[in-house]
Amino acid sequence: MQRHIAHRLLQLVPVLLSVSVLVFFMIHLVPGDPVQVMLQDYGSAEQAAALRHTLGFDRPLVVQYGVFVWHLLHGDLGRSIRTGRPVAAEIALRLPYTLRLTAASMVVAIVLGLTLGMLAAVQHRRFLDYAATVTALAGISLPSFWFGLVLILVFSYYLRWLPPAGADTVTSLILPAVTLGASAAALIARLSRSSLLEVLRQEFIRTARAKGLGEWWILYRHGLRNALIPVLSIVGLQFAGLLGGAVIVESVFGWPGLGRLAVDAIFNRDIPMVQGIVLTAAVIFVAVNLCVDLLYALVDPRIRYV
Amino acid sequence: MAASCGRAEGASPAGRSRSAPPQAQVGAPVAQNPSRAGTYAAAQEKNAGKSTMDWRGMTVARARLVCLLVLVLAVAAAAPGVGAPVRGGTLTLVLDSDPPSLDPHKTPAGDLSHYLIYNTLVTADKTTGDFVPELADSWSIADNGAVITFKLHPGVKFHDGTPFTSQAVRATIERLVNPATAAPGASWIGPIDRVETPDDLTARLIFKQPYAPIFSSLRIVFLAMLSPAAIAKLGANYGQAPVGAGPFKFRQWIPGDRIVLDRDADYAWAPKFFKNRGAPYVDGVVVRIVPDESTRVIAFERGDLDVLPAAPPSEAGRLVQSGKYQVFRTPVDGGLYLGLNVTKPIFSDVRVRQALGWAINRDEVVDYALEKLAVPMDSPLAPTIWGYAKGLKNAYHHDPDRARRLLAEAGWKPGADGTLQKDGRPLAFTVWTYPLETNVRVAVVLQTQLKAVGVRMNIEQIEPATLLARTAQGAQDAILISYGWPDADILYYFFHSSRMGSTNRVHFSNPDVDRLLEQGRVTVDPARRMEIYRQLQEMLLQQAPWIPLASLYTVTLAQPWVHDLYVDKYGDLLTNDVYLRK
Repeated sequence: MQRHIAHRLLQLVPVLLSVSVLVFFMIHLVPGDPVQVMLQDYGSAEQAAALRHTLGFDRPLVVQYGVFVWHLLHGDLGRSIRTGRPVAAEIALRLPYTLRLTAASMVVAIVLGLTLGMLAAVQHRRFLDYAATVTALAGISLPSFWFGLVLILVFSYYLRWLPPAGADTVTSLILPAVTLGASAAALIARLSRSSLLEVLRQEFIRTARAKGLGEWWILYRHGLRNALIPVLSIVGLQFAGLLGGAVIVESVFGWPGLGRLAVDAIFNRDIPMVQGIVLTAAVIFVAVNLCVDLLYALVDPRIRYV
Repeated sequence: MAASCGRAEGASPAGRSRSAPPQAQVGAPVAQNPSRAGTYAAAQEKNAGKSTMDWRGMTVARARLVCLLVLVLAVAAAAPGVGAPVRGGTLTLVLDSDPPSLDPHKTPAGDLSHYLIYNTLVTADKTTGDFVPELADSWSIADNGAVITFKLHPGVKFHDGTPFTSQAVRATIERLVNPATAAPGASWIGPIDRVETPDDLTARLIFKQPYAPIFSSLRIVFLAMLSPAAIAKLGANYGQAPVGAGPFKFRQWIPGDRIVLDRDADYAWAPKFFKNRGAPYVDGVVVRIVPDESTRVIAFERGDLDVLPAAPPSEAGRLVQSGKYQVFRTPVDGGLYLGLNVTKPIFSDVRVRQALGWAINRDEVVDYALEKLAVPMDSPLAPTIWGYAKGLKNAYHHDPDRARRLLAEAGWKPGADGTLQKDGRPLAFTVWTYPLETNVRVAVVLQTQLKAVGVRMNIEQIEPATLLARTAQGAQDAILISYGWPDADILYYFFHSSRMGSTNRVHFSNPDVDRLLEQGRVTVDPARRMEIYRQLQEMLLQQAPWIPLASLYTVTLAQPWVHDLYVDKYGDLLTNDVYLRK
């Protein structure tokens, strides 16, 4: 197990290097000059040249990348061009908000998704099955920026139950978490339904019924546990989707997370910040998938890591 | 996109910066009348005492009358806008994005959070827009404008307790122009040579040559006064714990969520136009950061926000018509224009450029695309900008026949699909604009109007950083963007040939225009300077590198419980008289 974890962590090194190369050169391919954005073009040519020199943008790209990697190896992500603050400090401020939001939306997705999936599987080809399937389809189809605004309109404006924006209270988390978790819930519902239906047709389920076990016990102990493996893998993948989706949801709900920081950084061509955020997201993605892999062993004792 | 002290080409953000020029129409609240409010309160006290004294000798009828009067006065006192100011409460404002920094030397844009923390040497009068003292008590101009001597207000202290003296003026300006600071706003101080400090309360700004727009610059955030002690202590981290001499002290900034400010109890130097020249009535200000405009509007309608600066145009009309809120309409200090890249073959013929000027119906643009929250613009300068000249003889109005004649003279003939053609090429171009609802709506109206005279205009939406970079290189046919700045000197940036490759996006070069732009910068005498800009506007209209379209209003809304708020001619919130009574 430990060897497996160490191996996976080592794999992180080439992954991060590749991500850093891709991000660094891709953002330089996009038109737009951070100095121009910073000075809004009203500075003199000398002023722009001085700022470009201070920020190191007058050096060849390969040298700039080398400097970036050198600093990265020393744990330094550089300073934001836009705010002048250390990138790591800015990310450290915003990351907890995004993690809180993605974790909450993951809970929404799993609870809602599994419940709908189980209901649909148990009530196969009955009303509840169709209702759950249609709900799941709606969850996948609704764009989050629209769904979020509808939730704000209903729960903040008309019912006045929940705040439309901010991150100062626990209630502020509910609407963004539901918005962000909706599509993941829908996917989990569909997958758990089909997976559970598959398992429930197996011989051992028939045996369990023959033994006289209760239907809910069969469902929980024998059915769900076996059906969870494919669901778990999609949960890991969905986490990355949630990080991406947070970009939009955070803007709609004024949630001060990493997604909005990323949007601001991209629009302002804040290259060090964009790199820092993408690398952080990559680390989180790899770490979450590692955790999911390890969870397989817990759910299914047949899986062993050596 | 955040406006850089109003100069940025783009949309006005929520809580726009101090930037607008002296303007003809000021946003005025619809509710309260402070002077009457005071009278009512005083009358109530007086009458209350009298009624107790005379009660026994009164007839029943007189007693009833007095009761009625007391009741009326009590109701009047409870009504919004009536009564003495109330201390306490938190004023909640909103911005659409975080300021890049709260250090005025590290931000390309000033927003309301800066102006609550910092004060400048001069400010603008709340009604006339004239420059009036803020941290300076008076000033004198010598050497044809190359030397300006400020007498500073005594007894001013920064939030860290450092006294405000001429040393602070020098430290602030030296930090601004120091290349190591890399301040985005460094160029706006003009050709400054040095700052002399003959005594603690006298600061002398000495320029290498006269710089006529200096007072417009002196009131913006880049020239907000900084504490020398805090500069020495905080250095590049000044923005993390900003220290100013404004009415509110910095307490906390949760990026992406809110900026929290506390009232400075020692503040006693508010400009004379405030009724309250001391510390603000409210305990503090919370500036919420809400990027989505629909969410901002809902938060305001729920009452989570006390003030909604720069209401989105799509919602402003509905909110105003609801009659629930105080409304402040402020014309902005700039406007939307269609900029034609004169180096492109299609626009190298001045007759084609002029034809577009005649083909466009600005009234339709204002009525249909801008929901009447704008005024048509007949000059490259908006009517609110200093230097705007009325009655320009080269101004365009809607005359499609004249447009068609000019295009025919230029050799363009009707093609099969209705688009004019010349040498087998259609009269077609692509306009680049920001993906903003306002801009796109205007573009669609223009597209229809130009089609009517045989010109095909395609619309392409491009995000700001890309548009800035590619238009500086001259890659575009035309642009549809906006600008803002209170002084006519802004034309220097847009049309001087030395600005080619940056802000001269139309790649226009004309020696006569260059000469006038240079004269306008150094001519201090207002009448002579005005004449220079009048000639310049005529010349630019005749050459038509820009087709001016419309100057937009900013609509600021306030809740009924916000009393004595004022939005000045520059679109700034004046908060020192504000008190909250819910």
